[in-house]
Amino acid sequence: MSAESFCLGHGLGLRTPYYQAILEQRPAVDWFEVISENYLVEGGKPLYYLDAIGEHYPLVMHGVSLSIGGPHELDRDYLQRLKRLAQRVQPQWISDHLCWSRGSAHQLHDLLPLPFTEESLQHVAARVRQVQEVLERPLVLENVSSYLRSADDQFSEWQFLAALCELSGCELLLDVNNVYVSARNHGFEPWDFIAGLPAQRIRQLHLAGHSDYGSYLIDTHDQPVGDPVWQLYQRTLRHLGPVATLLERDDHYPPLADLLAELARARDYAAAALAGEPACA
Amino acid sequence: MRLSDWQREVEAYLLGSDPAPNPVLRASLRGSAALSAEDGLAIYHHAYRARLLEALRGDYPAVHGWLGDAQFDALAGAYVDAHPSRHFSLRWLGAELANFIDGYLLAEQAAPLAELARLEWAFGLAFDAPAGEPLSLEQMAGLPAEDWPGLQVRLLPSVQWQACGYNSLALWRSVKEQSGFPGTAALAQAQVCLIWRHGLISQYRSLDPAEAQALHGMAVAGWDFAELCLQLSELGDDAPLQAASWLRQWLSDGLLQRHGQ
Repeated sequence: MSAESFCLGHGLGLRTPYYQAILEQRPAVDWFEVISENYLVEGGKPLYYLDAIGEHYPLVMHGVSLSIGGPHELDRDYLQRLKRLAQRVQPQWISDHLCWSRGSAHQLHDLLPLPFTEESLQHVAARVRQVQEVLERPLVLENVSSYLRSADDQFSEWQFLAALCELSGCELLLDVNNVYVSARNHGFEPWDFIAGLPAQRIRQLHLAGHSDYGSYLIDTHDQPVGDPVWQLYQRTLRHLGPVATLLERDDHYPPLADLLAELARARDYAAAALAGEPACA
Repeated sequence: MRLSDWQREVEAYLLGSDPAPNPVLRASLRGSAALSAEDGLAIYHHAYRARLLEALRGDYPAVHGWLGDAQFDALAGAYVDAHPSRHFSLRWLGAELANFIDGYLLAEQAAPLAELARLEWAFGLAFDAPAGEPLSLEQMAGLPAEDWPGLQVRLLPSVQWQACGYNSLALWRSVKEQSGFPGTAALAQAQVCLIWRHGLISQYRSLDPAEAQALHGMAVAGWDFAELCLQLSELGDDAPLQAASWLRQWLSDGLLQRHGQ
């Protein structure tokens, strides 16, 4: 992975409950990832805090509404607004998910999985190219947690992602927790997924917590990262080398100090996994 | 199955009330030992509705507080069936709830609840509206005397004008302050409630009818300052004083922007 990406270090997802504490404490967080849609507004606190925090930290924009695999036309208005936000934020990169979140008639507000077929691949690749033309930069796409698999799959998810990178020039946000959740739910080896991705395309990693429902897992982002995910994270870093890493929390928000402690844990695991790697310039 | 056909099946399934899939959709999926196709679908089905209802609870805490969980969810569920989301952001999901309440409930039940819903939505609109260019007291202090009569102003983009026939503001405040819910009551006299954002802070206040009429004339109907004084002429020599006093209040509240310079 590029030194530039690793030098971004370990970041946190920027969420409303932490705005004030971040400005007051200026915690030792290397960067923040912002949910793009939260700032596609005209004014008020969201944009104020975005600008204020952006003065002190590098930012990455992470969207949830692009619906890159959807059956609808790409939303040109949304893309233009995303581009204007990028001009304001100057993000290190812009990411969304390999999924569809809008149907032919309605917004579905979920990260729905796609069938991993040749038809899906061509559909998504063409749309990624359109998005990249508008945004004038590579799109970074994240693997989602899933609870469905199509009977028509022609590829594994990692084969699909690798082919998509090749066809479209996109990059990858590898969510280690999502790999673990989907692997448990669908019965594949998580390491097969990670080892099967094109390492040079992985721009960023995500870490988050999930909930265990016995035989299956749900990606809830409401608790600390689980031990199996930490182990997978370390193995991923040993395989990839240094990669920018982000800790996500979207519910049951703990005090900022607890998240910072979890982020420090990620740093420690990374340092242990990467012992002997060249220092970040 | 073609991708778009499959997506149409999934979309119809998510929007429908039945968590059991039709045979066509079921046959398109493959379950695992850990998670059957039916259970996997049900996770998405449940999440779709739960996410929308959670967004509406967040936007309408006072309506939710009034109705309680079960009644609110019944109302919200009927609403999302009638108004499935069409905007990429859940921020806009609840835009039509007040109008929906008007048609969903009997008129005497609907009126106070819809008014409360409009009030709550107005707070949301004020929260992230454009800042505009607030006219300040300092700017007015520098206005040459000859420019005063022709002075025109407009409401800033965040200012929401709500006519209240019920004690909706008291209901809203009781939920905000987590004090006892007072119960709905018609006001002896309808009043205007303004909701706006001053800097980053949401503000609200009720206007007495005379002030509401003056502000409406000046900032909505297009009176200039001379016209405002004229409209207050029944106050005699005190008219300019009253007009200036209100203007000072509106400026210090952060309600106005300059118009027609």
